[in-house]
Parts: sequence; C-alpha cells; structure tokens
Amino acid sequence: MQEELLDAIFDAVMDGDIPGAPATVQAALDGGLDAETILRDGMIAAMTRVGELYECGDYYVAEMFTSAKALQAALVVLRPMLQQSQVQATGTVVIGTVKGDMHDIGKNLVTMMLEGAGYAVHDLGADVHPSRFVAAVEEVHPDLVALSALLTTTMPSMQATVDALTTAGLRERVKVMIGGAPVNEEYAEHIGADGYAQDASQAVSLANALMQVKAQRSA
Amino acid sequence: MNARERVLAAINHREPDGIPVDIGSTPSSGISAIAHYNLKHYIGRPDWPTQVYDVVQQIAQPGDEMLDRFGIDVIDIGRAFDDRPEDWYDITLPDGTPVQFPTWFKPSPQPDGAWDVFNENGVRVATMPLGATFFDQTCFPFIDGYPDSYADLPQIMPLIHWAGLTHSPWDHAGDADFWEQLRARALALRASSDRALMIVVGCNLFEWGTFLRRLDNFLVDIVTEPAQVERLLDALMEQHLKTLEKVCAAVGDVADVCRFGDDLGTDQGPFMSPKTYRQLFKPRHKILTDYVKQNSTMHTFLHSCGSIYKLLPDLIEAGFEIVNPVQTIARDMEPVRLKAEFGRDLTFWGGGADTRFTLNRGTPAAVKDDVRRNIEALSPGGGFVFNTVHNILPDVPPENIMAMFEAIDEYR
Repeated sequence: MQEELLDAIFDAVMDGDIPGAPATVQAALDGGLDAETILRDGMIAAMTRVGELYECGDYYVAEMFTSAKALQAALVVLRPMLQQSQVQATGTVVIGTVKGDMHDIGKNLVTMMLEGAGYAVHDLGADVHPSRFVAAVEEVHPDLVALSALLTTTMPSMQATVDALTTAGLRERVKVMIGGAPVNEEYAEHIGADGYAQDASQAVSLANALMQVKAQRSA
Repeated sequence: MNARERVLAAINHREPDGIPVDIGSTPSSGISAIAHYNLKHYIGRPDWPTQVYDVVQQIAQPGDEMLDRFGIDVIDIGRAFDDRPEDWYDITLPDGTPVQFPTWFKPSPQPDGAWDVFNENGVRVATMPLGATFFDQTCFPFIDGYPDSYADLPQIMPLIHWAGLTHSPWDHAGDADFWEQLRARALALRASSDRALMIVVGCNLFEWGTFLRRLDNFLVDIVTEPAQVERLLDALMEQHLKTLEKVCAAVGDVADVCRFGDDLGTDQGPFMSPKTYRQLFKPRHKILTDYVKQNSTMHTFLHSCGSIYKLLPDLIEAGFEIVNPVQTIARDMEPVRLKAEFGRDLTFWGGGADTRFTLNRGTPAAVKDDVRRNIEALSPGGGFVFNTVHNILPDVPPENIMAMFEAIDEYR
C-alpha cells in the first residue's frame, strides 16, 4: 500500500502531471506516510531519475521543466507538513541572477531542481546587486550561494558578488556555485567560486558534492 | 568569382575561389554597436557611423567601406532602408559609447539606470537594465493562458519587442507603399552591389510560442498541451504564410537567401525531443520552406542557436538548406562531426569563430587557431560561409576581430 502511494507520486512527477501531482501527495499523507518519506522516497527519487534521464538524453529540457513544475505543485501540499514535522532540508541555498542580468529561466529551473533534491532555496530573483546577496547570506545563513548569468557582459557581476562576500567576511561560511551560458569551470576558479555546473541537473550534483565538502570540513 | 557567386557556389556545395564571409547580413550574424565603435577607432576610421539597425540586440549595420575593407560577401536587403541621414539621430549608450539610433526608437531612461521602451499605448515592451547591452522582452501577452480566438493576433504580435521594435526593412512594413519600395530598393541594391542578398523573414514557430507564453510556460505546454500549441502554431502559420507570399512576390527573384529563425537548442541539447519536433514543428517548417522553394529562387536558411545535432536530420527533411550560427561549443556540435555527418546536405553558415570564450577573452593567436581549425573542418567541398558563432558582442576586443580577419585572409 505504502509503496503504491509512493509510486503514484514518483510517476506523477516523472510524467510531469502538474494537475495530478498534488493529489498523489495528499493521498500519501492520508494513507499515513510521513512527510519526510514522501519527500525522500517519492519526490526526490523521481527528480533524481529525471536528472538521470536528462543526462543520458532520454529527457529534454521540456520534459525536465514539466517534471519540475509537477514537483512544485506537489510541494505546495507537502511544504506545511515538512515544516510541521521539522524535517531537515538537504541544505540551504541563496540563489539569484547577478546584477545587470534579468534572465532567470535557467536560474528558476535550477531552483526547482534543488527544491526537488530537498534543498531550502531562497530565490532573490534576477538583476541582484552584490549587496543583496550579502544581506541574504547574513539573514538566512545558507550553506550555498548559487549565481547565474546569461551574458558575457554580465558575468563580471559574479566576480563582484564573490568579492562582496569576501569583503563582508562571509566568504568562508558558504560555498559559491555558478552557472550560465558564458561561464565555465575555469571562470569559476578564476573568480574564486567553488564550482561550476553546466545545467540544472548537474547543479544538483554539484550542490550535493559541495555539501559533502562542507560537512567534512566542519566535522 | 564575385562575392555573390562565391556565396552561391558554397551553398551549391562547390568549392569557391575563397572562403565567403558574412558579418552583418542578419541581426544574428553581425557586430554589436559597441564592438563596431571600438573596431572603427582601432583601425583609424572614427568617421564611420555606428548605426544601430537592430535596436533589440544593439547591432550595427556595417557600412559600405567596412564591407569593402573586410571583404564581406553578403548583405541584408534591409540596409536599403533608413538610408538618409535624417533617418538617424545621435545618442550616447549608458556605457558612454556614441552611436546612432533610428529616429523611431526612443527608449526612456529610468531612475535606476535602466532604459525602458513603451509602445504608443504606453505598454512597456522592453527594458535594458543598467550594465546590460541589449533589450529584453517585458510583455508576454498569453502568459496567463491561451486565448479562445486568434482573430487579433496581428495586433498582439507587435507587443513582443522582436516584432514591435524590429530591424529594417520591417521597421517600414507599415508604410503604404512598403512592398513596392522593398522591390525597388532590393533591385537597386542588386544593381549597385555584386554581393549576395539576404532577406530576413523570421517566421519563427517555437520561439513565437515562447514570446507569447514565456519560455518556461511554453516548454511545459509542448509536453502537456500539444493541442493548444497546435492551435497557436496554426494561427502563427497563417500570419507567416501571408508574409512569405508578399516577400516572394516582392523579392523572391532578387534575394539569394531567405533567412528563417527558430532557436531550438540549448547548450546541452534541443529544448525538445526529436519526436516532439516532428509532431509539432517539422510539418509546419516544411510548409514554409516548400512555399519559398515553389515561389522564389531563394535558398532556405535557418538560424537556430544551441545544440541541434539531434534535430539536424529532421531539419534537413523540413527543407532547410543552410544552418546558422553553428554553435560549435555546444554539445555534439563539433565542426568535424557536423561536416562528416551532414556536410553533403547542409551549408554551415557560421561556426567560424567562437564568440563566447575565444573571441571575447582569448589572445589574438588563440583566435587565429580557432578560425583556422573551424575553416579547415567546415570548408572543404563548399557548403560553408564564414560567420562568427552569432553576433560579435560588446566585450570582443578589436585586436581579436582583426586577428579573425587575418586568419580568414589565409583562405581567400
């Protein structure tokens, strides 16, 4: 019975059933499953599979986006239960598109994928000034800061944001990850970020890896 | 061979006497106003005007002297419009670069430094935030859902900045004698220039869905609401075919290349599966290319950014002869691979110089290596027109543009 309820959630997310996904979560809650099990074994499991299918070329951005939207719809039902039962997030992320750049679709997909991996994500939106990243880090104490840019002309704002975190004395507290069309691994290294991901699926893998590094360091 | 013969030989898969070169024949194969300004000063021609003919992307129209200086083989019919000094006015871009805008384009500076654009009804249709160098779309008419009727689609389309703030010749499309003017001016251009002529028609399908619904919504729609998507595409096709009918009648025997657009790829792969492309877009693309082939002597050209390797067999069947910009650093888009697999069927118009890393931030020597490598992979047997991978962006140093042309000159 429990397995069937989880399968229904898994399938709804995998199939991108946006209207149907919330009901599968409600059914699982009504069937006595706890919020954490629903999150981990239903939703995160499904988004992990979506990521794998994208990586191997069976799913395309359209399918990945649709699954992410179905997951968002399901999370609306689950989120209050997660808070009530004080389920620990995988990690906390502050994310935004950097100053001068208003392109947010890639960033939004990364946000949804990170939420699908159990992260608590604070999305600052697009065209975000370095000082707003600093303020958000001071306020929510994230594990990770994720920066997005679409343009070669706005990517220097990533450097400015990393520098602002350093100046504010916050750089050591967080891992910084970057993504977007004009940037790469080399650029991440150049500006003193901790990692680069080439798409939303790999952003999740990178976030998980950075969380591990962080855990090892503080252990 | 003259310039036009060189381009046509390449498209017909015969090796021309030298590599044909395009910089500026379309708004996605040109040079940004800021890069143009920097280049003209670097080569000691500050007298060249920097005329921003595509205001959305802030792209400069290369003047006749620039075409001659760099041996450019193809031009946009649009350059035959806005050809009087009074069609332009001087303005300084937010970064301090002095340029010229068409007189109809009047952005409004905002307190936060952004430049906004409002249409005649006061609707904000585009914005360029401080620090950015082109305008983004701000109005998404169908963001809340699909309309019951598409009767007013022609009135809605100009709310999209790409259509409402469009480049020449289409900025004159509302003139009473536009189609007669288009033919007359194209013929005059043909008589005065031996370069190949391009007409940019767009007729985008997937992209119009993203313009009207916004990309994130339309991506979901093509998976979950194909019937609604097909209704929209049919309404768009009606408009596109009307345009093509007039274009073919006006310049179908004058222009050499008819440039369609539809960005189907991301860096990592197509937005959609080949199956979805086949179901929703391919049959309609085929209708558009068939119309051009049956009613003109123009060659069919598709501009699609990103990794489209997986769609190329279907795009060939859909009737496209030329693809651009050949985004060589995207997944599966290595020039050697593309030439080997699709070189017999397609002309690669682009892929000549990487405009994301090498041209922007590489050394002149690295630029030359990149250009030589790409030309040697793509040009054997024809089927190649040199073009940068998309526009030369504002951050490209003039030294690198010169290095690019020096490397091209080794092959012509």
